[in-house]
Amino acid sequence: MKEKLTFLRAALCASVVVYATASVAQEAYDPMRPAGNPLSPGASVQTPDAPEVELDPELGNLPVGPGAEDTYYQCVACHSTAIIRQQRLSDERWDYLWTWMIEDQGMYEPDDETKDVILNYLKTHFSSER
Amino acid sequence: MADDISRKNETDIDAADRPARRAFLKNTGLTALGAYVGMNIPFEGNLMALAQGMSEEDIMAGKDGLILMNDRPLNAETPAHLLDADVTPYEHFFIRNNGLVPDTALDMDAEGWTLTIDGEVDKPLELSIADLKEQFEVVTNRLVVECGGNGRAFFTPGASGNQWTTGAVGCADWTGVRLSDVLNAAGVKDSAVYTAHYGNDPHLSGDPEKDAISRGAPIEKALAEGGMIAWEMNGEPIPAVHGFPLRVIIPGYPGSASQKYLNRIWVRDQVHDGAKMTGYSYRLPAYPVAPGTEVPEEDMVIMTEMPVKSLITFPKSGTETPAGQAAEVRGHAWAGSGDIEAVDVSIDFGQTWISATLEPAKNKFAWQRFRADVTLPEAGYYEVWARATDMNGIAQPPVVPGWNPRGYGNNMQHRIALIAT
Repeated sequence: MKEKLTFLRAALCASVVVYATASVAQEAYDPMRPAGNPLSPGASVQTPDAPEVELDPELGNLPVGPGAEDTYYQCVACHSTAIIRQQRLSDERWDYLWTWMIEDQGMYEPDDETKDVILNYLKTHFSSER
Repeated sequence: MADDISRKNETDIDAADRPARRAFLKNTGLTALGAYVGMNIPFEGNLMALAQGMSEEDIMAGKDGLILMNDRPLNAETPAHLLDADVTPYEHFFIRNNGLVPDTALDMDAEGWTLTIDGEVDKPLELSIADLKEQFEVVTNRLVVECGGNGRAFFTPGASGNQWTTGAVGCADWTGVRLSDVLNAAGVKDSAVYTAHYGNDPHLSGDPEKDAISRGAPIEKALAEGGMIAWEMNGEPIPAVHGFPLRVIIPGYPGSASQKYLNRIWVRDQVHDGAKMTGYSYRLPAYPVAPGTEVPEEDMVIMTEMPVKSLITFPKSGTETPAGQAAEVRGHAWAGSGDIEAVDVSIDFGQTWISATLEPAKNKFAWQRFRADVTLPEAGYYEVWARATDMNGIAQPPVVPGWNPRGYGNNMQHRIALIAT
């Protein structure tokens, strides 16, 4: 069923919703689908009404926006963007994680301006608050 | 930025000395690697892995159907229907690495490997793998290993870390020696409080002074039934991503206590404060908090026993079945406290429950098979829910329990869709 749906999505893109019959909808429904970040690797089924997010393949598929490039180069020194793209955190948790990465994990500390750009980017795109 | 690149190049130079399979890097050199920065390559910028002479495609080649959560460090979970076997095979065993896979594991090279047991012991030991095999009784146990953050994806507001749904769990046959036998051979002093586990997996930053992870267990738990030092998984040397050549298993505790690439157990006279023992890592609030609460660091306590849990592994969610006919539903149940008392299933969203048959555990801390026949009365959409109860009468909740800042210990009932036709 999933293969079938993937094929439909590839072939028909957005029109899949139009062609989906009631039975397709109920078979595709996953009662364990997390309500979380649709960018998460585990979230294979996108809700039809979710806003389109433009991703930058040159920046590890981070969402396009101010701060994406600074964020990419700051973070991929240690880990890939896959872990970033899974998050949906409060502003306070992002501030905490920044400090944790510098103090505990040996992250390079950029100047304050870059820090603000990166944290604003993370809080904008990977937030539980907005 | 310039700093990042230079660090990668240092790693690359180091890796270029490695044998054949890393010749790729030797031949392409630094310029070619530099060209990858900002390029659209599959799975994007996995530069440290490239510098190690492998890609996640190489590592994932032996894995089948796993969902890749993160490629550096490597983290992948298993869809529920691929966990149906009694013993989880290598290809379906989830991966949770905190650091990089060490070269010794990539090369499957255990030459000269030693395990040090020191600290609060009468007689510190330095044991080769041959010593372990000769000096202690070799045992095989079927043990569940589950990530403490399995189920994190369902917390709202979100908790930081990999967004595991249900698949950061597996149950393998582990061969090795009892952890208690080794600790007792060293002679545990009365002053012993906690074990501290160390491996040789490199920290993500590349800093050799940092441990990727170093957790442990209370000495009573380390000496209790079930703890192992293992060198085989399902009858084969432990594969690279699962801890070659040696790992400790602390069954019933978060998987992070079961250190991979094990080369030292330091018996300490205090609670271990190694990497990811402190702060918010593998810790829960000392008191119940509302979702989203900012809990002060000093109010976080170490997570110990994993909660009771079950997983429906057959049929796959979304399967069709004829209305009015019995259909088998099956899966596994397990608990950090040991054996399971009962498993019940519901086809009406928890309004009524049917007792499943439950097979005994092969040994303590193995998962247990449950089966139930369900008959869906008429055509349409149904859900099958499963609820395990442990020997203390504690059952799985229908909703996400106890929100906590890092999203640990979610043991809510597993649900699948079952369509009657």
